[in-house]
Amino acid sequence: MFTIDKPLPAVTEDGAPYWEATRRHQLCVQRCERCGHLRFPPAVLCPKCLATEHRWVALSGRGRIFSFIVVHRPQHPAFFADAPYNVAIVELDEGPRLHANVVGCANADLRIGLPVEVVFEKIDDEITLPKFRPCAA
Amino acid sequence: MNDLRRLRDRCAIVGIGLSRFGKVPGTSAMGFCLEAARAAIEDCGIARDTIDGVLVLMPAQMGEQHGWASRVAAYLGIVPSFCATVDMGGATPIGMLQMAVLAVESGTCQAVLCAFGTQTNPQGVIPQLFGSPWAIPYGDIGAITFTAHQARRQMHEHGVTSLDYGHIAVQWRQHAMANPQAQMRKPMTIADHQASRFVAEPLRLFDCCLVTDGGGAFIVTSAERARDLRQRPALVSGLGQVHSAELIRPWDDGRGGGREAGEQAFRMAGCTPADIDVIQIYDAFTPRVVHDLVRYGFADWEEVGRLAASGQLTVGGRLPCNTAGGLLSEGHLSGMNHVAEAVRQIRGTSTTQVPDVALSMCTGFGGAPHEAPPTVAYTAAILRAP
Repeated sequence: MFTIDKPLPAVTEDGAPYWEATRRHQLCVQRCERCGHLRFPPAVLCPKCLATEHRWVALSGRGRIFSFIVVHRPQHPAFFADAPYNVAIVELDEGPRLHANVVGCANADLRIGLPVEVVFEKIDDEITLPKFRPCAA
Repeated sequence: MNDLRRLRDRCAIVGIGLSRFGKVPGTSAMGFCLEAARAAIEDCGIARDTIDGVLVLMPAQMGEQHGWASRVAAYLGIVPSFCATVDMGGATPIGMLQMAVLAVESGTCQAVLCAFGTQTNPQGVIPQLFGSPWAIPYGDIGAITFTAHQARRQMHEHGVTSLDYGHIAVQWRQHAMANPQAQMRKPMTIADHQASRFVAEPLRLFDCCLVTDGGGAFIVTSAERARDLRQRPALVSGLGQVHSAELIRPWDDGRGGGREAGEQAFRMAGCTPADIDVIQIYDAFTPRVVHDLVRYGFADWEEVGRLAASGQLTVGGRLPCNTAGGLLSEGHLSGMNHVAEAVRQIRGTSTTQVPDVALSMCTGFGGAPHEAPPTVAYTAAILRAP
């Protein structure tokens, strides 16, 4: 049967440690060594103080749904079979916000503020996608 | 904040032109650009040799094409001393207007042509996937999903409803029905809106703008030179723009959301939101209208949802909006049609004309909210009747 692969992130030098961490089932972001700002998406410098020195730090993987949508008409054919599917913006306890699907929860049960925790879905040898599922507050 | 007061009413939009638009297969983005540019030149009767600046909005679907604006100039037989392709998405028309005013006022140019053309199904161009590598893998792709998140937050924080969005779409459609050029002139009821399918929940089909092939153009020159041209000039009284990196809600320190673009424009024009007679809001989606009405100071969150339903956003109401039908019902010419309609309101030639317009405003919204990091560009212009 003919299938279309879902688009996967291109792993760049800036972001490679993020994907190395997800393969280990850790959610990591960069912490600025000068000002302590946690930044996401990955970048070569800190948007707060422009320092380049940074350290990759593991986050709790816990947060709350900041926003969610349910996509009925995907903009890419690889997602047609999944529709309607959700995409949430999760605000992590440590501050950064990221997009991800929420699994283990009916779309009708999604709500802003719902506590969620990260789970990891292996796509291939390089990419493991962090996703989220509801959890106790 | 910047201070542009010295630029107030120094320049004018003297010519406007739109190409054929709608579903127009076969015509290239360049073809539409040239068609609109020619219409704008003919509209004002300016000598082509006077035009020595050319700015062109980068079409979204064009592939790798360098020198786009220079090529537009070359096809038109213009040899500009100032020429650039501008990449601010739907904020570009007013961004180009600001660049044009700066070019004329600095003496760089006598007159600047600003143009745009798009073909949504271009031949020979591989469609690109828009979006951030941090969102695309989850199926969060394009501007619709970004705006759906924004709508979700408007609903959550401020109690805006899908019905509120629906009344905006219905009001705009009524304006489009009066506009013979509009792409969508079939009547729409609030029930039609509520029955339209979800695209990205909470957004329905009728919350989304049209897909349009076509082009638009306008010409800017000094107010002095404008007096010798064919049309009543629309003086450029206020201009503002701001670019911010925001993920759904403005920066936590209170910046962002476009407020600064409005403040710059009102300061330059020496007026307040209450002085504006008519506005064309960048309405790629209905929640954008709600956003701009609040962030530019026309309404507060408590009342904004009810304005369309109570007839406040049309002629006779508090602030007539998108009087040609907007991107939602007239057509999506990336806001070039909004600039044209803002000028028509000054000339008195709109198909939904507001009486005695002194100040006609227009907003733009673009940037790359679906890229990483998500950025947005807000632009605002205030035109004044001479």
